[in-house]
Amino acid sequence: METHCLKRPTRRQFLSSVAFTILAGSAAPVMARSISGSLPWEARSADPPVQVKPGGWLFFTLEEAQTMEAVADRLVPADELSLGGKDAGCVLYLDRQLVGSYGTSSRLYTKGPFMPGLATQGYQAPDTPAQRYRSGIAALNAFTRDAKGGKRFAELAPADQDAVLKDLEAGKITLPNKVDAKSFFNLMLANVMEGFFADPIYGGNKDMASWKMLGFPGARYDYRDHVSKHNQPYPLPPVSIAGSMEWMTR
Amino acid sequence: MSKILFSPTLAVTALSAGLAFAQAPDQADEIIRGRYQAILGDCAACHTAPGAKPLSGGLPLETPFGQIIPPNITPDKASGIGNWTEADFRNALKNGIGHDGKRLYPAMPYPAYTKMTDRDIGNLWSYLRTVDPVFNPVESNQLPFPFNIRLSMMGWNMLNFTPGEFRPDPSKSPEWNRGAYIVQGPGHCGTCHSPKTVLGADKTSEALEGTSLQGWYAPNITGNSYIGVGSWSEEQIVQYLKTGTNGHTIASGPMAEAIQASTSLMTDEDVHAIATYLKSTQGGPAQKPQPIPASDARMKVGAAIYHDTCSACHGGDGKGANQLFPALAGSTIVQQPSAETLARLVLQGSQAVHTPQAKTTPAMPSLGWKLSDEQVAAVLTYVRNSWGNAAPSVGASDIGAQR
Repeated sequence: METHCLKRPTRRQFLSSVAFTILAGSAAPVMARSISGSLPWEARSADPPVQVKPGGWLFFTLEEAQTMEAVADRLVPADELSLGGKDAGCVLYLDRQLVGSYGTSSRLYTKGPFMPGLATQGYQAPDTPAQRYRSGIAALNAFTRDAKGGKRFAELAPADQDAVLKDLEAGKITLPNKVDAKSFFNLMLANVMEGFFADPIYGGNKDMASWKMLGFPGARYDYRDHVSKHNQPYPLPPVSIAGSMEWMTR
Repeated sequence: MSKILFSPTLAVTALSAGLAFAQAPDQADEIIRGRYQAILGDCAACHTAPGAKPLSGGLPLETPFGQIIPPNITPDKASGIGNWTEADFRNALKNGIGHDGKRLYPAMPYPAYTKMTDRDIGNLWSYLRTVDPVFNPVESNQLPFPFNIRLSMMGWNMLNFTPGEFRPDPSKSPEWNRGAYIVQGPGHCGTCHSPKTVLGADKTSEALEGTSLQGWYAPNITGNSYIGVGSWSEEQIVQYLKTGTNGHTIASGPMAEAIQASTSLMTDEDVHAIATYLKSTQGGPAQKPQPIPASDARMKVGAAIYHDTCSACHGGDGKGANQLFPALAGSTIVQQPSAETLARLVLQGSQAVHTPQAKTTPAMPSLGWKLSDEQVAAVLTYVRNSWGNAAPSVGASDIGAQR
C-alpha cells in the first residue's frame, strides 16, 4: 500500500476503499463468531406467527372498515366458487397488517429523495400504507359524496360501486387531496388478494375458502409420497399453519 | 472435554521430561488407562457442569427424594478430593463410603462401580490426580429430612447393595464378559435404564428394562425383540453408540450426552462387547400388545396431524430418511410403555448429538407452540400404533406434565 499511496488511487482501489468503509460502518455492531461442534440449537425455540383473532378494529374507523368491506366484496364477489372478500376476512387481515410493520413500513427503506419513478419501480412516495389508506378512503368517500348524490361508497348499489372501482383502476377519476386514484386502487386490490389467499392465521382466507376453491393444499412442504402418482388428484385437504378441522380432537 | 483430553498429554510430557522423578516409570500408562476408565464411567456426565472446568462439580440431580449436587472431584485440597488417599477413593467406589467415613448416596452409582476391578479403580485414581485442581466448594447433600441423614445409607446398603467385583461367567465368551463388565460396572447403564424400587435401588430382576428419569424415558435396552435392542443388529448398536445415529434412530436427551462424552470415545472392541452382551439379555413383555385400530377417533385425528405436520421428514410410511430423520415404524423408543420421551421431543424439539463420525446434527423443531396437549396425545397414539407399531395410547394429561 505504501508505494501506491504516493500515486493517484486507481479506480479499483477507490471502489474497494468505499466498499470497505460502507461495510465497516454498517457491520460494526455485528461481531463474527465461529461455531464448532454442534450447530447452535435450543429446546422449545420457535418463532411462530401470531394468530389473528377477530374482534374490533385496531386500525380502521367503523366507516373506513365498512368502505373497505364494500370494496373487498366487489373485488372478490361472493359467488358459486367462494364466499366474498368481506366474509373471507380480507378487511380483518388488512386491519391487522396496517397496525403492524406493514402499515408503518418499518421494515422498508423509506428515506428520500422522493421522485416519480418508473412503473417497474413500484411505489416511490413517502406515505406509509397506513397513511395511504387513511387519506385514500377519505378521498374515495369524499368523491362519491360529491359525484353520487351524497352517498358514501359503501352505500352505493353494487353496480355503481363496480363502476367507481373501474374508473379508479383506469385513472379516470381525480380524487381530492392529491390522492392518486390508480395507485390507491392497485394498493387495495393487492392487499385484498393477499387477505383472500394468505394463510388463515393472518385473519383472512376464512376456513381456507380460497385454497379449497383452487385445490391448493396449503402449508405443506413435502410431496414425496405423491410425486409418482401421475394424473391423480392430490387427496389431502388443505391445512393452515394453525392446523385444520381434521385436527380437532372433539 | 478438551481439558480432560489434554491434561494426560501434559502429564506424559512432564514425565518424559524427567520432572516426575518420584513416580514409577509406568505411571503414564496408568494415567492413560485411567483416563479411559473415566470415559467408560462417564464421570463427566455428572461431575462436569456445562461450560465448567472438567470434573469441578455438576448440575443438580433431581432424584425422587430431593436434589443432590455432584461434587468437585478435582484434586483441589480445599473443595475437591485433594485430601483423599487412594484407599479412600477405592472405598468410595467399592463400598459407597468416602473420606472420613462419610456415606455416599447411591446417586453416585457405587452399586455399579463396586464391580470394577482393583486395577481399573487404581488407574482411574492415577488419572484423577492429574486433572487440573479447581476451587469450587459444592454442598452435595441438598436432600430434605430425613433423607439428608447420611448414616441412613447404612441401612439402605444393607437392603439394596451387594459389594463385590464383577465375576466373569466362564461359560460365556471373553467378549460377552467384557460387555457385561462394562454394562454392569463402569458403564453403569442400569443407573438410568433399570426400573427402581421404592427405595430408589435398581430392580435387579428387571435390569435394563427401561424406566423414567428426569423427564425422559430411558428405554428397554435388553435383547427384547420389539422394545429392546433385539431387532437391532450388533452393527447397528455399535453404530448408535459410536455416532448417536444409525439407520433407525437418533439419540436424544441424556443418552445423547452419554454418547458424546462416553460411548463414542470407547474402543470399537468395547462397543462391540457391549452390543454382544445387551443382545444376550432378556427382559420386558415378549408379546406385542394389540395395536389400537385405525378407526379409533384418536387415531384418525392423529393421522391427520401426522400427515400434515410430521410426514415431511418422517415419511408417510414412517420410515424416515437414513441417518437424517429417525424411522418411526418399528422404532423401539416409539413403542416403550411410556411416551415420556416422545412427548418431550414433540413439545421441545431435539438435536442429534455431535460425534467425531456424525457431525451433521439434524434437529427436530419444537411443535409445542402449534399443537395442544390433546393433539400431541393423538399424534403420538397414532405413531405408536401404525405401520406395525403397537403401544398403549397416550393421554392429554401425560403431555401437560411435560410442558
